[in-house]
Amino acid sequence: MRVFISGGVKNGKSSHAQNIAKKLSGGGPLYYVATMIPHDDEDYRRISRHIKEREGMGFETIECPRDILKCLEKAKPEGVFLLDSTTALLSNEMFLEDGEINHDAADKIAKELVRFAESIGGFVAVSDAIYSDAAEYEALTEEYRKGLASIDRALAGCCDTVLEICCGTVFCHKGEFPI
Amino acid sequence: MYLIIGGAYQGKMEYAAQRFGLSEEDIYVCTDDHEPDFSRRCLHHVERYVRFCLKKGADPAEKLEKWSVSHGDGVLICEDIFCGVVPTDEETRAWREAAGRCAAWAAGKAEGVVRLFCGLPQVLK
Repeated sequence: MRVFISGGVKNGKSSHAQNIAKKLSGGGPLYYVATMIPHDDEDYRRISRHIKEREGMGFETIECPRDILKCLEKAKPEGVFLLDSTTALLSNEMFLEDGEINHDAADKIAKELVRFAESIGGFVAVSDAIYSDAAEYEALTEEYRKGLASIDRALAGCCDTVLEICCGTVFCHKGEFPI
Repeated sequence: MYLIIGGAYQGKMEYAAQRFGLSEEDIYVCTDDHEPDFSRRCLHHVERYVRFCLKKGADPAEKLEKWSVSHGDGVLICEDIFCGVVPTDEETRAWREAAGRCAAWAAGKAEGVVRLFCGLPQVLK
């Protein structure tokens, strides 16, 4: 089963996603696809704290800040994979460390994620709804928003279930809530 | 009249075109510097028309009301610009508020309201 989750920041998406992924795994392999690229000691401390928390839930962490299909080399494809979040994945692939911009990143990620979702036992992906404000962004940020929306829509299309989380409450836009 | 609402890039126009059988000629994409073509069956980016009205000191609901009377099968598409931080710029703040009031007015008038989320329709009314 494939589940796509989006909604506002700090609304409970991640904890719902973790519970759903654990439930889907049914005791089988359960992977957390870690997308964050750490930049300083604070980041490293946060990451090691999160890894410990997830180990308690049965997740094995796979570092994969870009090129999602590489996860398949490091894990059992029949397992359940939690990707939190597509937002970080796009920012890692679009805004390169040498300052260059990859304008094709969103298309690449959308295609790879659909392929990834279809190659594994179970998939839970988390994104962020960043599309409903009146601010006028500069061109690059607008390109990022548009790119993330195209990834969201590709995932919403290929997933069995699409959930929006608002204040910890779930609205099911497609399929059935998997618990 | 129908109101289609949703954030940027959520598939509002594609949904409206498919559901209501709209061709490209049926859809007018509003801007904030031109009077829309009110003969069209679908007005897209109504929030930009609201901005145009603010500049002119006009009430957007006035002409939209007339349009909705002559277009019983009309479709309004409005971008949800209402969930961000309060804009620091006074003009943007006034625009957001006026667009919000206009969307609420349209939702009240409409026989159906649909919100788009990641390309998926959610019936609000």
